[in-house]
Amino acid sequence: MTSANGNPSNGSYGQDGVDIGGARPADLSQPGSLNGLRALEICDEKGQFCGKLMADNGADLIKIEPPGGEACRSFGPYLDDIPHRERSLSFWHYNTSKRGITLNLETKPGQDIFKQLAATADIVLESRQPGYLESLGLGYSALSADNPGLIMCSLTPYGQTGPWRDYVSSDITQLAGGGQMASSGYDEIDVPAPPPIAPGGGNSWHIGAHYAYIGLMAALYYRFLTGEGQYIDASIHEACALTTEGAIAIYLSTGDVVQRHTGRHAAPDMSPAIQFPTGDGGWLNTTRSGTNLTPARLKLLAEWFDQTGMAEDLTDARYQDPEVIAAENDHIVQVMKNFFMNSTLLDSFHGGQQRDFPWGAIRSMDEIVGDDHLTDREFFKEVEHPELGRTFTYPGPAMLLNGSPWRISRRAPLIGEHNSEILQGELGLTNSQLLLLAEGRVI
Amino acid sequence: MPLPTPLQGIRVVDFTWVRAGPWAARWLGTLGAEVIKVEWPLNLDTLRQNRFTVPPGVEPGPNSTGQFADTNANKRGISVNTRTETGLELVKRLISVSDVVIENFSSRIMQRWGLGYDQLKKIRPDIIYVSMAGFGHTGRYHWYGTMGPAAQALSGLTHLSGLPGAPPAGWGWSYLDDTGGMYGAISALTALRHRSATGKGQHVDLSQMITGITLTGPALLDKTVNGRKARREGFPPGNRTVWPGAEVVNNYRGPIAAPHNAYRTSPGGYNDWATIACLSDDEWQKLVKLMGNPQWADDRFETIDGRLEHQDEMDQHIEKWTKTMGKYELTEKCQAAGIRAMAVQSSQDRVDNDPQLRHRDMYVPMDHPMLGPWKFQNAPFKMSKSPARIANPPPMIGQHNREVLESLLGVPHDELLDGYENGVFWPTTMDRYPYIEEALR
Repeated sequence: MTSANGNPSNGSYGQDGVDIGGARPADLSQPGSLNGLRALEICDEKGQFCGKLMADNGADLIKIEPPGGEACRSFGPYLDDIPHRERSLSFWHYNTSKRGITLNLETKPGQDIFKQLAATADIVLESRQPGYLESLGLGYSALSADNPGLIMCSLTPYGQTGPWRDYVSSDITQLAGGGQMASSGYDEIDVPAPPPIAPGGGNSWHIGAHYAYIGLMAALYYRFLTGEGQYIDASIHEACALTTEGAIAIYLSTGDVVQRHTGRHAAPDMSPAIQFPTGDGGWLNTTRSGTNLTPARLKLLAEWFDQTGMAEDLTDARYQDPEVIAAENDHIVQVMKNFFMNSTLLDSFHGGQQRDFPWGAIRSMDEIVGDDHLTDREFFKEVEHPELGRTFTYPGPAMLLNGSPWRISRRAPLIGEHNSEILQGELGLTNSQLLLLAEGRVI
Repeated sequence: MPLPTPLQGIRVVDFTWVRAGPWAARWLGTLGAEVIKVEWPLNLDTLRQNRFTVPPGVEPGPNSTGQFADTNANKRGISVNTRTETGLELVKRLISVSDVVIENFSSRIMQRWGLGYDQLKKIRPDIIYVSMAGFGHTGRYHWYGTMGPAAQALSGLTHLSGLPGAPPAGWGWSYLDDTGGMYGAISALTALRHRSATGKGQHVDLSQMITGITLTGPALLDKTVNGRKARREGFPPGNRTVWPGAEVVNNYRGPIAAPHNAYRTSPGGYNDWATIACLSDDEWQKLVKLMGNPQWADDRFETIDGRLEHQDEMDQHIEKWTKTMGKYELTEKCQAAGIRAMAVQSSQDRVDNDPQLRHRDMYVPMDHPMLGPWKFQNAPFKMSKSPARIANPPPMIGQHNREVLESLLGVPHDELLDGYENGVFWPTTMDRYPYIEEALR
């Protein structure tokens, strides 16, 4: 069996008879990679994604929120656009597979309960301001005194030390300091006097969370070797500063500072445009300037365009010469532009890929949700919200761990949903103790 | 005595190239794993050819680019032709004494080499195999190719970035190479924990494009749950949370807030910008006070809906104020008043002007054989007992053939020499670099 470009496939077929390249369902009889580990999370938007990575990978993650819930439960959008702290889609996404309790850590009973829980934990992840937990007697040295295997990670805007450690931040200010904005934006021809642009989606938090997770996993391996836990001081600023690909290396190498270009790499010099509009109002990203056309590749393009009479003179034999291709680059790009304007976003994208051009359609969620390839990989996951009697479609695994599957084991916890299960069921508090904690606003 | 590293004893066979894959393995190396990069000079890693990062006065060549250097620090490197029987056999022997195999080829290359997971498992039963293809190894379009920008486009990330009514601004670098690299490292480490707990290896099948989609969760749920149209007026909202005049909906960057923008600062150069975000009315009042309670900041701006309604006017006034000072001065003043603000920092700013990164030793000096004194990017976290570290510069191509092949795999010296004559360890059509000759002596 071969696929369209001659690649062998494993010859497995989806319901519609399409070769889906060996896709197979994850073996959900196997536990996740972090099965058997308990993690506590005291995080707002800065760290909750790291917690999700652990929870979706099988850790028993207990999210500890202040009474009434984390402030980021108030981030929209909301289910059916009805604002409510249990209806935040942002909170839903970032807190799957977790259990949740409420606890006022500024009270003595709250601190005692937290310490009891920490004694059962492998990992504590927190994103409060530097020194806060320490000031409550809940820093690493206190928590690890009787639990030397404990791994604790503080993920904060600028880290626990240094002149900016107490600086306050938001996603956009992190992307400013980290260098994302200095690399992203427009050419003057597209937007006059263009500002640097902070890419959307809350990605400074993702960038920090990825590195925090890496630190935690490395610490787990070290503990596997030695039995010792440790403390990890992770900085979102440093994580962002690391995440601009070549900008730092270019500066270190030549002293050049990159300039922003529309939809393509910031660079020390001008480069040709790589995004082209399509007839249906979309944009195609052709990845690199000039598309690296060899005579053979140009021939593929010309034959493709010729099917709709859009090849102009590109079918001419004289284009089978690299020097002619180089000399006629502007004309070739113009022919491509005309073709795209008479085609659709997805037809241009698939047509290019099927001819080995690594192009990308600039897709919105309108195109991504329901996509065949994602469906073949069982990317979309139905997650039940029993309290609503409804089921919603979530983004699934970022990686297919074939031996220890990533899975969303439950929707995000409701506020204090597991107070009774954990405080009574696991810590052995009585009904009346729970009542007193609730009335004392400890939980 | 230096502290131990967390991944001591872990050996990684690194077949990766360009950025995402090498960046993944780089972090495993920075955490103490022994990473062995397998290369072939006739199929040169494109970062070894990066035209922007050869310093002036340095002889150009595959060992002379700054971008390859930082992306491949903390590795060793061998040159082996896997298309020869001997070469492939040696690679298999290397895998048999390794813990992790990582690659970012297109989806069926390793299978064609006879190194798909089923074969790897025979060589080393508990091997952790991380593949980093654009669309993954399964699914109907597994053979589609991506580089960072295309993956970002397809994942929905590009669509989230830019000004409304303008072309997508996207990301001015291969964000999904950086972050793809993160997921390569995340996969290996996650699978390593599974192996520690169960003794079992596995194949982790990554798709660069799909990792991007998981970073758009709230936008995706807004579509699947609320049916919100993703292509809509006023989206993406530039640096704002809501574009002036557009419907007030959450556009997936935290709470709806204003001011929330980038403002010009003195002296008005290309990167003289700073960001300010006031996430509450209280934070807004702090800013008003810091600006000296200007007359324009009247009660129309007291609440978030008023600030959104008069956003353009407000931003123009704020910018008049920000333009009276430098971006760091503005940052310090705002921070002293408890206002979320930060300078837009260029690469130069981060390396030379950022006191926090300097305090935290972000750029670690180390000599590089071709580049001379160089700086390497440190880990963004401090581990108290087993820190990450910058241990060695990247391999020059084929630099460690002798120590890996002879010392680790036990290849006799005369067989090593033969391999240089018959195209197994170096192309017969290419001159050998002096460091290679020296190592063979």
